Amino acid sequence: MSAAQYRPSDEVDFLVIGIGAAGGVMAKELSTAGFRVVALEQGPWLHEKDFRHDEVAISFRAGIINDPKTRPNTFRKTPSETPVHQQAVEYASLVGGGSVHFTANYWRFHPEDFREHSTWGAVPGADLRDWPITYDDLEPYYTKGEWDLGISGLGGSNPFDGPRSKPYPLPPMPVKSSGVLFERGAKKLGLHPFPAPVAVLSKDYHGRAGCVHCGFCEAFGCEVGAKSSTLAAVVPAAVKTGRCEIRPDSYVRKIEVGKNGRVTGAIYFDKNKKEIFQRAKVVVVCANGAETPRLLLMSKSNAFPQGLANSNGNVGKYLMFDNGGIAFGLFEHPLNEYKSIVVTRVLHDFYRSDPKRGYWGGGGLDSRFDYYPIGFALGGLPADGPQWGAEWKKTLAEYYTHIGGTLAHATCLAVEENSISLDDSVKDAWGMPAMRVTFRNHPDDMKNIDFLMARQKEILAAAGAKKIWHDPTTTTETTYSRHLMGSCRMGDDPKLSVVDKWNRAHDVPNLFLVDGSSLVTSGRQQPTATIQALAYRLAEHLEQVAKRGEL
Amino acid sequence: MNITRREWALATACWAEILRAQTGGDPKFAWFEPAMASEIEAIVEQIIPDNETPGAKRAGVINFIDRALAGFDQDKQELYKTGLRETQAKRAEMFVGSTSIAGLSGDQQIALLKAIEKTDFFAQVRTHAVLGFLGSPAHGGNRDMVGWKLIGLDHQMSYQPPFGYYDAEAARGGSK
Repeated sequence: MSAAQYRPSDEVDFLVIGIGAAGGVMAKELSTAGFRVVALEQGPWLHEKDFRHDEVAISFRAGIINDPKTRPNTFRKTPSETPVHQQAVEYASLVGGGSVHFTANYWRFHPEDFREHSTWGAVPGADLRDWPITYDDLEPYYTKGEWDLGISGLGGSNPFDGPRSKPYPLPPMPVKSSGVLFERGAKKLGLHPFPAPVAVLSKDYHGRAGCVHCGFCEAFGCEVGAKSSTLAAVVPAAVKTGRCEIRPDSYVRKIEVGKNGRVTGAIYFDKNKKEIFQRAKVVVVCANGAETPRLLLMSKSNAFPQGLANSNGNVGKYLMFDNGGIAFGLFEHPLNEYKSIVVTRVLHDFYRSDPKRGYWGGGGLDSRFDYYPIGFALGGLPADGPQWGAEWKKTLAEYYTHIGGTLAHATCLAVEENSISLDDSVKDAWGMPAMRVTFRNHPDDMKNIDFLMARQKEILAAAGAKKIWHDPTTTTETTYSRHLMGSCRMGDDPKLSVVDKWNRAHDVPNLFLVDGSSLVTSGRQQPTATIQALAYRLAEHLEQVAKRGEL
Repeated sequence: MNITRREWALATACWAEILRAQTGGDPKFAWFEPAMASEIEAIVEQIIPDNETPGAKRAGVINFIDRALAGFDQDKQELYKTGLRETQAKRAEMFVGSTSIAGLSGDQQIALLKAIEKTDFFAQVRTHAVLGFLGSPAHGGNRDMVGWKLIGLDHQMSYQPPFGYYDAEAARGGSK
């Protein structure tokens, strides 16, 4: 357990809500800077020894994700539809959050990501906006994160990347057969593949062991701590300061506001569903792009009858999801993709929006065949073939080790109607209103997914695939997402955004939000590096502001 | 690093324990009545047949399903009961005079399953069969990792490159 222990009546300096990609960074940076921190996490505090090679538990029993049985959500495509019980958002629910189970792709956004409205103009039916900050504002913090967390990659190998002040701290991971074939196909087509930057240690680093290539990586917790999750990389350092108390199994239901309009702390349910109010001078919410707006909407008060920090009604709006299709290629020789990490090669040739394509959007492609055995047997084989019986079994045995593929990471346009709101007709296991998700892709998202799928198949063909097909469920409208972005967007104009360029709520001087909810645009998915860069930047800012006595 | 290495050794030891505990297989069921078990087993054996390579029977899929229905999938018990009842009705209609699914010929069993393959019941049994065939042996199926061996997954707790044919070829400096 944590060395630091505070009483709820202690007014700590910072209360961090949600210990994920951003919250873990905040906990470490703020406690290292000398502040007293309590960090609350809805899920448990697991460790390397708790993780297993168990696809049944992870993929079919809500192993480390939000469990639909206790945390249901409802879904509708548009506000005029009646919501149905249907899980639409997935996030990891444990200390470390999504950084524990993610694929570990660690892409920086490009300089152009921050000013796409300026370079393109308005997109009808969407709300494309510039960020209030630039790539240059964030670059030092991308670098800080890469070196603090431990990122493997080859700086300068992606010709489309923005400038970087330092190389990656670790060399790229060994290339897999899928990466070799992707690179071969892409180069034949004149494209520019490069070694994937990943949040996995290619060598021992900062007292942590390098990857052992066990293969149970995406969706799983790392059994040796080689994935650079906040759980493995920074939470131990936060604990070590003796100033940060990590409280797992603590589910926040309301942030309280005092008479002066400042937040005073938060009420949470502990493991036994007992309510506790923790006092704090400053609250930093890092609960992810779905739970952060939900918590604000649940935090109604006389001062904020529409929910905390929601005087303009923007909390929860402009939700952006994860788009992109999966293509498979069958090859002559075994690739054995079940070994090691998932992605070893990436290309960004189609990243930028191109007016010639006739729509707004772009994407990155990566090499991957990320199906575990059960998932592949249930849904990975070509849909036009048998799905059970002797012939199916034969195909399964022949294909599993011989498949490579690519996944597209495609833009998602911000649309006002796409949102997180409260569904008062459905309660979670704590009696709180369920999350209601409203989401429908902008038509340009779909055109882009189709465009990228055609490119993916060209690459696989150029790589020599004998048979090429795709997962049709990944090229239809998105109804389920692990990337949760944009629902409390950042901006200079308090009428049009929820937080300012320092992640401070426009409405509340001592409330900060930093996680996927802050993102103004989707990048080409892979938001973790940007979320964490924002967190490192905010932590440094808070330290400076606090020293000036302005908190 | 010392801690993670130690924990890694522990995890490896746990794995060995799982495999030891699993060998033999318990003929007694936690939830199934024996008659129902043999009918479900007849179905899963057509979904993943034992032929020149091991299938559902050899992997102990029925033990996995039994444990699942007694444990984490208790809410699927009703689907099994009603689904099997409806499947029996279909069997009686298709094969007049037959008395059980297990008693049908292989071709008859396949014809029966084709007739019900769009039902929720069949989808659930297929999912369970795959989970029991290709999931961690810790759940009672995939005995001796026969499912993983079938698909070419040589299960180890760590690997070193080269991982496959094409990266080995690239490491040698060759490609076509």
